[in-house]
Amino acid sequence: MSIQAMIDEWYPVGIFAQLDEAGRNTMLMGEPIVVTKDGNARVTGRNGRSLPVKVRYGHVWTSLGEPKKDLFPIPEADQPGRRFVDVGVVRVRCSPLRAVENFLDIAHFPFVHTDILGAEPHTEVQNYKVEIREDVDEVWATQVKFYQPQAAKSASGGITTEYMYRVAAPTCTVLYKTCPPRPTEWDVITLFVQPLTEELCDVWPWMALFDDETSMTDLIHFQQTIFLQDRSILENQIPRLLPLDPGMEIPTRADMTSIAYRRWLKRHNYTYGAQLVAQ
Amino acid sequence: MHTLTTGPWTPVALSADLPVGTVIPARIPAGSIALWRSESGRLSASADRCPHRGMSLSHGFVRGENLSCIYHGWSYARSGKCVRIPAHPGLEPPEAIRAKTFAVEEAGGVIWVATDEAATTPPVLEGLMPLRSMTTSAGIAAIEAAAGAKATAEGLVVPAENADTLCLLLSARDDGQTLIHVLLKGETTADSRIAASRVAESLRRAAEDLQKKGIAA
Repeated sequence: MSIQAMIDEWYPVGIFAQLDEAGRNTMLMGEPIVVTKDGNARVTGRNGRSLPVKVRYGHVWTSLGEPKKDLFPIPEADQPGRRFVDVGVVRVRCSPLRAVENFLDIAHFPFVHTDILGAEPHTEVQNYKVEIREDVDEVWATQVKFYQPQAAKSASGGITTEYMYRVAAPTCTVLYKTCPPRPTEWDVITLFVQPLTEELCDVWPWMALFDDETSMTDLIHFQQTIFLQDRSILENQIPRLLPLDPGMEIPTRADMTSIAYRRWLKRHNYTYGAQLVAQ
Repeated sequence: MHTLTTGPWTPVALSADLPVGTVIPARIPAGSIALWRSESGRLSASADRCPHRGMSLSHGFVRGENLSCIYHGWSYARSGKCVRIPAHPGLEPPEAIRAKTFAVEEAGGVIWVATDEAATTPPVLEGLMPLRSMTTSAGIAAIEAAAGAKATAEGLVVPAENADTLCLLLSARDDGQTLIHVLLKGETTADSRIAASRVAESLRRAAEDLQKKGIAA
């Protein structure tokens, strides 16, 4: 484990709209922090140290180090006509990196999200494209296709959904998926993961959707149902840390995104929440 | 630490608690296992970890003669060999993809699992009918003290006050808990089985109290 390479990253620590003066006591990479609001958001670390703050994508972001770059862009966050959904928080007893990797995986849909995001016998994962985009230093998977009985709250009946996945930061990932009411646009669903410790995280999903029909409550419930199903997996994987070296786990062709993610983490020494052979 | 000499065999569960087509978690000294019974009734024990992504196999499901992982549906035969990867239905899974397996035997309504490829057979428990299993935080010494009797080499304790009806089969687990299988002697009725179950629960509570007071040391 090394905290060093990941310490200068931005991490989500709360929903901005839900902050109050009383503040929220939470934790970031083992350090107790307090997130409060006095006009803007304020984050205080150990010994009253003021931490850098950004408010973006519905959430408050902070860092224990000195961020060398701006928070990653999501252009769709400024697109008119989208609804922005602060889904809330799900605490998961797993490595923050495992939470991200699960989000990048489609092969589990028929078994974990049965009759919602997948259903037997439609289990096959077709070949898709994966790359590390050097200019932006992000992992991308494109041309990912999967049959889904109910791809979104706004979908009626089964459709083959197309996905693009993007890992924008070690614990933040963005998913672009077929938008049933607007075939020319992508719905955006993100997973922002707050690493509390190496083996405990708060997961903050956020969405930017074209859907004027579904109530906010139903949109939130849909996403929470999905993520609670994921939690039952994430809390029962052994080891709890994500193994970055080959040997502990056996990937197949369907796991190309996770293989690229693990390589990218290792290359940057992003190992907070990871297990290496040397350990 | 109290050592029982059941050889490599651990009494992990009662037959009645593992119906056809189901999987349950269990423990042996080597760690957690997935104990499962196929639809034709064949019993298997495998390591409780899918080699793909480390998911616990005891959360999985039994279909036909195979155990499937709940995460991605990878299926394992009784031998431990992976026989199906649903994401790639046309692919014959490589031989190297295997879940570790353990020898398993069922005798007199008790399921035994061996830590190594055992040439021996598990102990035979003559004239005893399994009733139920329970776990306790009490160690074997505390249970012996509560029962007023010593465990045999096989881990059998005959409680002094209920010697005609009751017998406890103990198994020390690696997590510090003790698994107790409650066995009955002779002819029973529904009423006598309920009574025996209550006696066993009282013994467990007494053993836990003794454990807390440190008498088991």
